[in-house]
Amino acid sequence: MSTDDHSNPLSFDLECHNINKAFGDFIAVDDVSFKIPQGSFFSILGPSGCGKTTLLRMLAGFQHPNSGDIFIKGQSVLHTPPNKRPVNMVFQHLALFPTMTVAENIAYGLKRRGISKTEQQALIKDVLERIDLPDAGNKRIDQLSGGQKQRIAIARCLVLKPDVLLLDEPLGALDLKLREQMKIELKHLQQVFGTTFVYITHDQSEALVMSDQVAIMNNGRFEQVGTPQELYYQPKTPFVASFVGDSNRWQGKVSTASGDLLSLTTENGLKLSGLPASSEPFKENDTVIAYIRPEAISIIPVTENLSTVSAIDNTDDINQCHGRIVNILFDGARSQVLVDTRCGEPMHVSLPQTGHHTSLSKGDNVTLQWNKKQCLCFRPAESNTSPHQNLT
Amino acid sequence: MPPVSTASLSNTSRIGLWLLLAPILLWLSLLIILPHVDMILISLQERISSRNYSFSVSNYTEFFTEPLYWNTFVRTAVMSVIATALTLLIAFPVSYYIAKMLTGRLKTVLFVLCLIPFWVSELVRTYGWMIILRETGLVSTFLQWLGLADQPIEMLYNDAAIMVGLIYTSMLFMVVPLVSTLDSLDNSLIEAGYDLGGNSWNVLKEIVIPHAMPGIVSGCVVVFMLTLGNYLTPALLGGKDSLWFTEQIYTQFITRFNWEQGSAFGMLLLILSSLIVWVGLKLSKQSFSKVMS
Repeated sequence: MSTDDHSNPLSFDLECHNINKAFGDFIAVDDVSFKIPQGSFFSILGPSGCGKTTLLRMLAGFQHPNSGDIFIKGQSVLHTPPNKRPVNMVFQHLALFPTMTVAENIAYGLKRRGISKTEQQALIKDVLERIDLPDAGNKRIDQLSGGQKQRIAIARCLVLKPDVLLLDEPLGALDLKLREQMKIELKHLQQVFGTTFVYITHDQSEALVMSDQVAIMNNGRFEQVGTPQELYYQPKTPFVASFVGDSNRWQGKVSTASGDLLSLTTENGLKLSGLPASSEPFKENDTVIAYIRPEAISIIPVTENLSTVSAIDNTDDINQCHGRIVNILFDGARSQVLVDTRCGEPMHVSLPQTGHHTSLSKGDNVTLQWNKKQCLCFRPAESNTSPHQNLT
Repeated sequence: MPPVSTASLSNTSRIGLWLLLAPILLWLSLLIILPHVDMILISLQERISSRNYSFSVSNYTEFFTEPLYWNTFVRTAVMSVIATALTLLIAFPVSYYIAKMLTGRLKTVLFVLCLIPFWVSELVRTYGWMIILRETGLVSTFLQWLGLADQPIEMLYNDAAIMVGLIYTSMLFMVVPLVSTLDSLDNSLIEAGYDLGGNSWNVLKEIVIPHAMPGIVSGCVVVFMLTLGNYLTPALLGGKDSLWFTEQIYTQFITRFNWEQGSAFGMLLLILSSLIVWVGLKLSKQSFSKVMS
């Protein structure tokens, strides 16, 4: 974020204090607090069933927290019904009214404010121009394409100049190409209108591309709040490390814990070094979980024999291991190779499309190298924080 | 050889089509078209002497010159429109509650509860109302027991009793289409209606009713037709003075054995109901095919 956003550090559009919500025995939202500065794009990212939709519905006023308070522009809205709150919501399936035209859809909210017919016309014309659909006014909803509907749903809310716009996975129903395009367009619209966006999604790419700040939510709690870069490079919990981006994961025991780096031995006997990511210091023989991203690993093909490459082993900053390619998962820019290192699960390694690795094929021997500082070490979390757990 | 085989194939498929259409065509022609054609022919006849008929429109002119027939006709139409409107007013909140406020088991239970009275024949249901409303019936006895009435009250044989019976009989035919259209209304549309600043009235008027319009109109059409053509309920609950047009037709056919006059009345009732349904569709800007789909 640029520095002028901090000129008035107290101007938070939305603040939540210790929000709790339970449905029977199931705790959907567990003591969540956060503050969103004016005009920023804030995403809540989490697996399905983590409580993000419940949280958003509480912000919109469709559900009431069991405890805690919600402030919009410094005013508590806890006892304000949804139709009186200065927030608007873009629903998952957009919820455009099919019995009305585009212009009538946009006019619906304006009418409720008692704005005169002529003023309504002017505002509708203006907002349609700003979303680049100036001639859509008289169209029926079923005449619009997916991306156009998206823009109309956003325009219908933004024309009311809400303090906060809530978006409930609105890109979920679009196909991949359009979704990529809408990500850029949403970010652009947010900058044009300058409205604070709260966006919930389970798609990390949407959150990372568009957001100023992202909160990672799991089991009703915020695991970490930070910029997309912080979440990717400095995850604070094992859940964040495994949920944001892909990771190879080892469990092991600390062998030496001196200095910045940690030496560990995995369950299958692989010796590694890594950077401790938890604030609490590690002691010898502590259980540790290490993560390394597939894209942080470089592949060196072993053409003659292993002894020629082992010279790099001396470099202090490098972890290294040898293995054999068991499979190549080709997916364009996201291609990976699976390397069997004879130490547990095959490792996922990104295959850079720079042309250097075109000769690699199944069964080749390779050496894998990665920077010790990019290998992050965590204490194992309590049993119930696995990212792949299915909660609904 | 090939052309012959394709020709025979198309012949067999054509025969198949006709066989499939046969039941509905027989049904339509034998039970609906033929009787109506016959009714038109009979209604345009005048008996001069025994087994001697001549063409005449006197049966129709009779209807327009005799005020009793004409008044009964208008009264039946007006009462049917009122009964339809009242059925809609009562059924809409019930349907909304079933379709939108309830989920799961309770929803099914309430819907079935609406349906259960219709497992019993209309005759039995109407007698049920007679037990409740007659002079020695439940309501009358209860009011006397409370001390609110000092003598038995007759609640049968008036327009209100007819209305109650008609609405009760028609309820299901309004609730079913309403529940199914309201069920198809996405809850997020209602939430969006509130979210954009609307109150309950705005949401009802701008979102719920426009969405439910095909269901409302189809329910109204069915209820109106059933009410207008109802014989049993007005006759039993309204007594001798109920002045329902179907009773006039019955009288002509059965009591007076004047089939020519009865057929003319029958045709007029058909024309009247079609006309009112057409006007209703025009007023609500719905098309017949959309409503009935």
